Amino acid sequence: MTGVVSVIIIIAILVALGFGLIGMVKGGKSGSDKMFKSLVIRVSLSVLLFILVMFAGYMGWITPNAIMVDAPIISTPVQK
Amino acid sequence: MSEQEYYVPHGTYWPIIGSIGVSTLFVGFANQMHGVEWGGSVMALGLAITVFMMFGWFGQVVNESTNGIYNKQVDRSFRWGMSWFIFSEVMFFAAFFGALFYARALSVPWLGGADNNIFTPDLWNAFSASWHQMAFLAPGTELQSGTVMSFPDVPASGIATATPADVVDPWGLPALNTALLLASGVTLTFAHHALRAGHRNQIVGWLVATIALGVAFLGFQIMEYSHAYHDGLKLTSGIYGSTFYMLTGFHGFHVTVGAIMLTVILYRVQKGHFDADNHFGFEGVAWYWHFVDVVWLGLFVFVYWL
Repeated sequence: MTGVVSVIIIIAILVALGFGLIGMVKGGKSGSDKMFKSLVIRVSLSVLLFILVMFAGYMGWITPNAIMVDAPIISTPVQK
Repeated sequence: MSEQEYYVPHGTYWPIIGSIGVSTLFVGFANQMHGVEWGGSVMALGLAITVFMMFGWFGQVVNESTNGIYNKQVDRSFRWGMSWFIFSEVMFFAAFFGALFYARALSVPWLGGADNNIFTPDLWNAFSASWHQMAFLAPGTELQSGTVMSFPDVPASGIATATPADVVDPWGLPALNTALLLASGVTLTFAHHALRAGHRNQIVGWLVATIALGVAFLGFQIMEYSHAYHDGLKLTSGIYGSTFYMLTGFHGFHVTVGAIMLTVILYRVQKGHFDADNHFGFEGVAWYWHFVDVVWLGLFVFVYWL
Protein backbone atom coordinates (compact mmCIF):
# COMPACT_ATOMS: atom_id res chain seq x y z
CA MET A 1 0.00 0.00 0.00
CA THR A 2 2.80 2.40 0.95
CA GLY A 3 4.51 1.47 -2.32
CA VAL A 4 1.42 2.31 -4.39
CA VAL A 5 0.90 5.63 -2.58
CA SER A 6 4.61 6.47 -2.99
CA VAL A 7 4.49 5.78 -6.73
CA ILE A 8 1.34 7.92 -7.08
CA ILE A 9 3.03 10.79 -5.22
CA ILE A 10 6.15 10.42 -7.39
CA ILE A 11 4.01 10.59 -10.54
CA ALA A 12 2.29 13.71 -9.13
CA ILE A 13 5.73 15.23 -8.43
CA LEU A 14 6.81 14.53 -12.02
CA VAL A 15 3.60 16.10 -13.35
CA ALA A 16 4.18 19.21 -11.19
CA LEU A 17 7.77 19.38 -12.42
CA GLY A 18 6.48 19.04 -15.99
CA PHE A 19 4.05 21.93 -15.52
CA GLY A 20 6.95 23.95 -14.10
CA LEU A 21 8.91 23.24 -17.28
CA ILE A 22 5.98 24.29 -19.47
CA GLY A 23 5.76 27.56 -17.49
CA MET A 24 9.49 28.13 -17.95
CA VAL A 25 9.35 27.55 -21.71
CA LYS A 26 6.29 29.80 -22.04
CA GLY A 27 7.97 32.69 -20.23
CA GLY A 28 6.44 36.07 -19.48
CA LYS A 29 4.43 36.89 -16.38
CA SER A 30 1.90 34.06 -16.74
CA GLY A 31 4.61 31.48 -17.50
CA SER A 32 6.68 32.63 -14.55
CA ASP A 33 3.65 32.40 -12.22
CA LYS A 34 2.81 28.94 -13.50
CA MET A 35 6.39 27.77 -13.04
CA PHE A 36 6.62 29.06 -9.48
CA LYS A 37 3.30 27.57 -8.39
CA SER A 38 4.16 24.18 -9.93
CA LEU A 39 7.52 24.11 -8.18
CA VAL A 40 5.92 24.96 -4.83
CA ILE A 41 3.59 21.99 -5.34
CA ARG A 42 6.47 19.72 -6.28
CA VAL A 43 8.49 20.73 -3.17
CA SER A 44 5.46 20.20 -0.91
CA LEU A 45 4.73 16.76 -2.41
CA SER A 46 8.39 15.76 -2.07
CA VAL A 47 8.46 16.63 1.63
CA LEU A 48 5.20 14.70 2.06
CA LEU A 49 6.68 11.65 0.32
CA PHE A 50 9.84 11.73 2.43
CA ILE A 51 7.79 11.91 5.63
CA LEU A 52 5.55 9.08 4.40
CA VAL A 53 8.48 6.77 3.55
CA MET A 54 10.28 7.48 6.82
CA PHE A 55 7.08 6.98 8.83
CA ALA A 56 6.22 3.75 6.97
CA GLY A 57 9.75 2.48 7.60
CA TYR A 58 9.50 3.40 11.27
CA MET A 59 6.15 1.61 11.60
CA GLY A 60 7.54 -1.43 9.82
CA TRP A 61 5.10 -1.18 6.90
CA ILE A 62 8.03 -1.26 4.51
CA THR A 63 11.50 -2.67 5.01
CA PRO A 64 14.59 -1.12 3.52
CA ASN A 65 16.18 -2.85 0.58
CA ALA A 66 19.56 -2.98 2.14
CA ILE A 67 18.87 -4.89 5.32
CA MET A 68 19.75 -8.50 4.77
CA VAL A 69 20.89 -10.98 7.34
CA ASP A 70 22.68 -13.39 5.09
CA ALA A 71 23.85 -13.22 1.56
CA PRO A 72 22.63 -16.24 -0.36
CA ILE A 73 25.34 -18.32 -1.91
CA ILE A 74 24.80 -17.81 -5.57
CA SER A 75 27.50 -19.78 -7.18
CA THR A 76 29.12 -23.11 -6.61
CA PRO A 77 32.69 -23.73 -7.70
CA VAL A 78 33.03 -26.74 -9.91
CA GLN A 79 34.54 -29.71 -8.15
CA LYS A 80 37.46 -31.00 -10.11
CA MET B 1 17.44 45.34 -31.36
CA SER B 2 13.93 45.39 -32.81
CA GLU B 3 11.45 42.59 -32.22
CA GLN B 4 11.04 41.90 -35.93
CA GLU B 5 14.71 41.52 -36.71
CA TYR B 6 16.05 38.01 -36.27
CA TYR B 7 19.14 37.92 -34.12
CA VAL B 8 22.16 36.60 -35.98
CA PRO B 9 25.04 35.73 -33.68
CA HIS B 10 28.43 37.22 -34.46
CA GLY B 11 31.40 35.06 -35.39
CA THR B 12 33.02 33.39 -32.43
CA TYR B 13 35.99 31.17 -31.69
CA TRP B 14 34.53 29.55 -28.53
CA PRO B 15 33.03 26.45 -30.24
CA ILE B 16 36.38 25.35 -31.69
CA ILE B 17 38.06 25.92 -28.32
CA GLY B 18 35.34 23.82 -26.73
CA SER B 19 35.91 21.04 -29.28
CA ILE B 20 39.64 21.05 -28.64
CA GLY B 21 39.05 21.05 -24.87
CA VAL B 22 36.58 18.15 -24.89
CA SER B 23 38.65 16.09 -27.35
CA THR B 24 41.79 16.59 -25.25
CA LEU B 25 39.82 15.63 -22.14
CA PHE B 26 38.59 12.36 -23.66
CA VAL B 27 41.93 11.42 -25.21
CA GLY B 28 43.50 11.97 -21.78
CA PHE B 29 40.75 10.04 -20.02
CA ALA B 30 40.93 7.06 -22.38
CA ASN B 31 44.70 6.85 -21.99
CA GLN B 32 44.45 7.27 -18.23
CA MET B 33 42.07 4.28 -18.20
CA HIS B 34 44.68 2.28 -20.12
CA GLY B 35 47.36 3.20 -17.62
CA VAL B 36 49.30 5.45 -20.00
CA GLU B 37 51.66 7.70 -18.09
CA TRP B 38 50.65 11.01 -19.66
CA GLY B 39 46.90 10.25 -19.56
CA GLY B 40 46.22 12.15 -16.34
CA SER B 41 48.08 15.31 -17.37
CA VAL B 42 46.41 15.46 -20.78
CA MET B 43 43.05 14.94 -19.09
CA ALA B 44 43.73 17.83 -16.70
CA LEU B 45 44.77 20.02 -19.64
CA GLY B 46 41.54 19.13 -21.50
CA LEU B 47 39.49 19.94 -18.43
CA ALA B 48 41.26 23.29 -18.04
CA ILE B 49 40.59 24.20 -21.70
CA THR B 50 36.93 23.18 -21.34
CA VAL B 51 36.45 25.23 -18.16
CA PHE B 52 38.21 28.19 -19.83
CA MET B 53 35.80 27.87 -22.79
CA MET B 54 32.78 27.77 -20.47
CA PHE B 55 33.88 30.88 -18.58
CA GLY B 56 34.62 32.71 -21.80
CA TRP B 57 31.56 31.69 -23.78
CA PHE B 58 28.99 31.93 -21.00
CA GLY B 59 30.52 35.20 -19.83
CA GLN B 60 30.16 36.61 -23.34
CA VAL B 61 26.50 35.58 -23.47
CA VAL B 62 25.86 37.13 -20.04
CA ASN B 63 27.52 40.37 -21.16
CA GLU B 64 25.47 40.49 -24.33
CA SER B 65 22.32 39.88 -22.31
CA THR B 66 23.05 42.62 -19.77
CA ASN B 67 23.95 45.03 -22.60
CA GLY B 68 20.43 44.57 -23.99
CA ILE B 69 21.51 43.03 -27.30
CA TYR B 70 18.96 40.21 -27.06
CA ASN B 71 15.28 40.56 -27.92
CA LYS B 72 12.29 38.32 -27.18
CA GLN B 73 13.18 35.96 -30.01
CA VAL B 74 16.50 35.23 -28.35
CA ASP B 75 14.75 34.81 -25.01
CA ARG B 76 12.47 32.21 -26.59
CA SER B 77 15.37 30.34 -28.14
CA PHE B 78 17.13 30.23 -24.75
CA ARG B 79 14.01 28.79 -23.14
CA TRP B 80 13.66 26.15 -25.86
CA GLY B 81 17.37 25.39 -25.68
CA MET B 82 17.06 24.79 -21.94
CA SER B 83 14.00 22.59 -22.45
CA TRP B 84 15.86 20.36 -24.96
CA PHE B 85 18.79 20.09 -22.59
CA ILE B 86 16.36 19.07 -19.85
CA PHE B 87 14.74 16.54 -22.18
CA SER B 88 18.12 14.92 -22.75
CA GLU B 89 18.71 14.83 -18.99
CA VAL B 90 15.33 13.25 -18.35
CA MET B 91 16.06 10.59 -20.99
CA PHE B 92 19.51 10.01 -19.48
CA PHE B 93 18.13 9.23 -16.03
CA ALA B 94 15.12 7.41 -17.49
CA ALA B 95 17.58 4.99 -19.11
CA PHE B 96 19.30 4.25 -15.81
CA PHE B 97 16.05 3.93 -13.87
CA GLY B 98 14.85 1.69 -16.70
CA ALA B 99 17.98 -0.46 -16.29
CA LEU B 100 17.32 -0.65 -12.55
CA PHE B 101 13.74 -1.77 -13.17
CA TYR B 102 14.74 -4.26 -15.87
CA ALA B 103 17.46 -5.86 -13.79
CA ARG B 104 15.42 -6.01 -10.64
CA ALA B 105 11.99 -6.95 -11.94
CA LEU B 106 12.92 -9.05 -14.98
CA SER B 107 16.45 -10.22 -15.63
CA VAL B 108 17.52 -11.16 -12.09
CA PRO B 109 14.34 -13.22 -11.42
CA TRP B 110 14.80 -14.87 -14.84
CA LEU B 111 18.34 -15.84 -13.94
CA GLY B 112 16.93 -17.37 -10.78
CA GLY B 113 14.55 -19.48 -12.84
CA ALA B 114 11.37 -17.44 -12.57
CA ASP B 115 8.82 -17.77 -15.38
CA ASN B 116 10.95 -20.30 -17.17
CA ASN B 117 10.11 -20.83 -20.77
CA ILE B 118 11.96 -21.42 -23.99
CA PHE B 119 13.38 -17.89 -23.93
CA THR B 120 14.44 -18.02 -20.29
CA PRO B 121 15.72 -21.50 -19.58
CA ASP B 122 17.21 -22.30 -16.22
CA LEU B 123 20.51 -20.71 -17.01
CA TRP B 124 22.33 -21.25 -13.82
CA ASN B 125 20.94 -23.82 -11.45
CA ALA B 126 22.99 -22.67 -8.48
CA PHE B 127 21.75 -19.11 -8.79
CA SER B 128 19.39 -17.92 -6.11
CA ALA B 129 17.85 -14.69 -7.31
CA SER B 130 17.83 -11.87 -4.84
CA TRP B 131 17.98 -8.21 -5.64
CA HIS B 132 19.97 -7.18 -2.60
CA GLN B 133 22.85 -9.52 -2.98
CA MET B 134 26.11 -8.60 -4.50
CA ALA B 135 26.61 -11.16 -7.22
CA PHE B 136 29.97 -12.56 -6.32
CA LEU B 137 31.31 -15.22 -8.58
CA ALA B 138 33.56 -18.03 -7.65
CA PRO B 139 36.09 -19.02 -10.29
CA GLY B 140 35.07 -21.92 -12.45
CA THR B 141 31.38 -21.31 -11.90
CA GLU B 142 29.48 -23.83 -14.00
CA LEU B 143 26.35 -23.04 -15.94
CA GLN B 144 23.65 -25.63 -16.42
CA SER B 145 24.71 -26.15 -20.00
CA GLY B 146 28.10 -27.18 -18.76
CA THR B 147 29.85 -24.01 -19.86
CA VAL B 148 32.37 -22.94 -17.32
CA MET B 149 32.50 -19.20 -16.92
CA SER B 150 35.84 -17.67 -16.38
CA PHE B 151 36.29 -14.37 -14.59
CA PRO B 152 39.90 -13.35 -14.67
CA ASP B 153 39.39 -10.75 -11.95
CA VAL B 154 38.19 -13.31 -9.46
CA PRO B 155 40.99 -14.71 -7.29
CA ALA B 156 41.36 -18.49 -7.01
CA SER B 157 39.75 -18.47 -3.60
CA GLY B 158 36.62 -16.75 -4.94
CA ILE B 159 35.32 -13.67 -3.17
CA ALA B 160 33.67 -13.63 0.21
CA THR B 161 29.99 -12.87 0.07
CA ALA B 162 28.65 -9.78 1.74
CA THR B 163 25.48 -7.83 1.34
CA PRO B 164 24.97 -4.15 0.73
CA ALA B 165 23.23 -4.42 4.10
CA ASP B 166 26.62 -4.29 5.66
CA VAL B 167 27.45 -1.14 3.82
CA VAL B 168 24.31 0.86 3.07
CA ASP B 169 21.88 1.61 5.86
CA PRO B 170 18.97 3.69 4.54
CA TRP B 171 18.26 5.10 7.98
CA GLY B 172 21.69 6.66 8.15
CA LEU B 173 23.35 8.82 5.54
CA PRO B 174 20.83 8.27 2.72
CA ALA B 175 17.97 9.57 4.90
CA LEU B 176 20.08 12.50 6.09
CA ASN B 177 21.09 13.28 2.49
CA THR B 178 17.47 13.14 1.34
CA ALA B 179 16.52 15.59 4.09
CA LEU B 180 19.40 17.89 3.08
CA LEU B 181 18.46 17.87 -0.60
CA LEU B 182 14.76 18.37 0.11
CA ALA B 183 15.64 21.27 2.39
CA SER B 184 17.70 22.75 -0.47
CA GLY B 185 14.59 22.53 -2.67
CA VAL B 186 12.67 24.47 -0.02
CA THR B 187 15.36 27.17 0.38
CA LEU B 188 15.60 27.53 -3.39
CA THR B 189 11.83 28.04 -3.54
CA PHE B 190 12.19 30.82 -0.94
CA ALA B 191 14.95 32.37 -3.06
CA HIS B 192 12.70 32.15 -6.11
CA HIS B 193 9.89 33.84 -4.19
CA ALA B 194 12.24 36.58 -2.96
CA LEU B 195 13.43 37.20 -6.53
CA ARG B 196 9.88 37.52 -7.81
CA ALA B 197 9.13 39.90 -4.94
CA GLY B 198 12.32 41.89 -5.63
CA HIS B 199 14.04 41.31 -2.26
CA ARG B 200 17.66 40.96 -3.28
CA ASN B 201 19.17 40.42 0.20
CA GLN B 202 16.78 37.57 0.88
CA ILE B 203 17.60 35.96 -2.46
CA VAL B 204 21.29 35.98 -1.59
CA GLY B 205 20.66 34.43 1.83
CA TRP B 206 18.42 31.66 0.53
CA LEU B 207 20.74 30.92 -2.39
CA VAL B 208 23.75 30.64 -0.07
CA ALA B 209 21.72 28.23 2.10
CA THR B 210 20.78 26.17 -0.99
CA ILE B 211 24.40 25.91 -2.15
CA ALA B 212 25.57 25.02 1.37
CA LEU B 213 22.97 22.25 1.61
CA GLY B 214 24.04 20.93 -1.81
CA VAL B 215 27.72 20.91 -0.79
CA ALA B 216 26.84 19.18 2.50
CA PHE B 217 24.97 16.54 0.48
CA LEU B 218 28.05 15.95 -1.66
CA GLY B 219 30.28 15.69 1.42
CA PHE B 220 28.07 13.03 2.98
CA GLN B 221 27.81 11.24 -0.36
CA ILE B 222 31.60 11.02 -0.52
CA MET B 223 31.58 9.61 3.03
CA GLU B 224 29.01 7.01 2.05
CA TYR B 225 30.95 6.03 -1.05
CA SER B 226 34.13 5.65 0.93
CA HIS B 227 32.31 3.53 3.51
CA ALA B 228 30.56 1.39 0.89
CA TYR B 229 33.69 0.91 -1.21
CA HIS B 230 35.86 -0.15 1.71
CA ASP B 231 33.20 -2.62 2.79
CA GLY B 232 33.23 -4.26 -0.63
CA LEU B 233 30.39 -2.66 -2.59
CA LYS B 234 31.96 -1.74 -5.93
CA LEU B 235 30.92 -1.10 -9.52
CA THR B 236 31.90 -4.71 -10.15
CA SER B 237 29.75 -6.03 -7.29
CA GLY B 238 27.07 -7.48 -9.52
CA ILE B 239 24.07 -5.69 -10.91
CA TYR B 240 23.22 -4.02 -7.59
CA GLY B 241 26.67 -2.46 -7.36
CA SER B 242 26.58 -1.39 -11.01
CA THR B 243 23.17 0.28 -10.87
CA PHE B 244 23.84 1.74 -7.42
CA TYR B 245 27.03 3.49 -8.49
CA MET B 246 25.79 4.46 -11.96
CA LEU B 247 22.67 6.13 -10.59
CA THR B 248 24.09 7.71 -7.45
CA GLY B 249 27.37 8.60 -9.17
CA PHE B 250 25.77 10.43 -12.07
CA HIS B 251 23.33 12.03 -9.66
CA GLY B 252 26.22 13.30 -7.53
CA PHE B 253 27.86 14.69 -10.66
CA HIS B 254 24.64 16.55 -11.46
CA VAL B 255 24.45 17.97 -7.94
CA THR B 256 28.02 19.21 -8.40
CA VAL B 257 27.14 20.87 -11.70
CA GLY B 258 23.95 22.31 -10.16
CA ALA B 259 25.88 23.75 -7.21
CA ILE B 260 28.34 25.40 -9.62
CA MET B 261 25.45 26.84 -11.65
CA LEU B 262 23.77 28.13 -8.47
CA THR B 263 27.04 29.79 -7.46
CA VAL B 264 27.17 31.57 -10.82
CA ILE B 265 23.53 32.65 -10.34
CA LEU B 266 24.41 33.93 -6.85
CA TYR B 267 27.18 36.02 -8.38
CA ARG B 268 24.80 37.33 -11.04
CA VAL B 269 22.15 38.19 -8.44
CA GLN B 270 24.75 40.22 -6.53
CA LYS B 271 25.69 41.96 -9.77
CA GLY B 272 22.04 42.89 -10.27
CA HIS B 273 21.57 40.96 -13.49
CA PHE B 274 18.00 39.88 -12.63
CA ASP B 275 14.79 41.65 -11.75
CA ALA B 276 11.32 40.46 -10.72
CA ASP B 277 10.15 40.08 -14.32
CA ASN B 278 13.33 39.14 -16.12
CA HIS B 279 15.32 36.26 -14.68
CA PHE B 280 15.43 33.37 -17.09
CA GLY B 281 18.96 32.39 -15.98
CA PHE B 282 17.66 31.88 -12.47
CA GLU B 283 14.59 29.97 -13.68
CA GLY B 284 16.63 27.56 -15.78
CA VAL B 285 19.02 26.73 -12.95
CA ALA B 286 16.18 26.53 -10.39
CA TRP B 287 14.32 24.02 -12.54
CA TYR B 288 17.49 21.99 -13.00
CA TRP B 289 18.02 21.87 -9.22
CA HIS B 290 14.42 20.78 -8.64
CA PHE B 291 14.90 18.06 -11.24
CA VAL B 292 18.11 16.79 -9.59
CA ASP B 293 16.26 16.83 -6.27
CA VAL B 294 13.43 14.70 -7.72
CA VAL B 295 15.93 12.24 -9.21
CA TRP B 296 17.44 11.75 -5.75
CA LEU B 297 14.00 11.26 -4.24
CA GLY B 298 13.34 8.55 -6.84
CA LEU B 299 16.68 6.97 -5.99
CA PHE B 300 16.01 7.09 -2.27
CA VAL B 301 12.60 5.49 -2.65
CA PHE B 302 13.44 2.85 -5.27
CA VAL B 303 17.05 1.96 -4.52
CA TYR B 304 16.98 2.12 -0.75
CA TRP B 305 13.39 1.37 0.21
CA LEU B 306 10.88 -0.07 -2.23
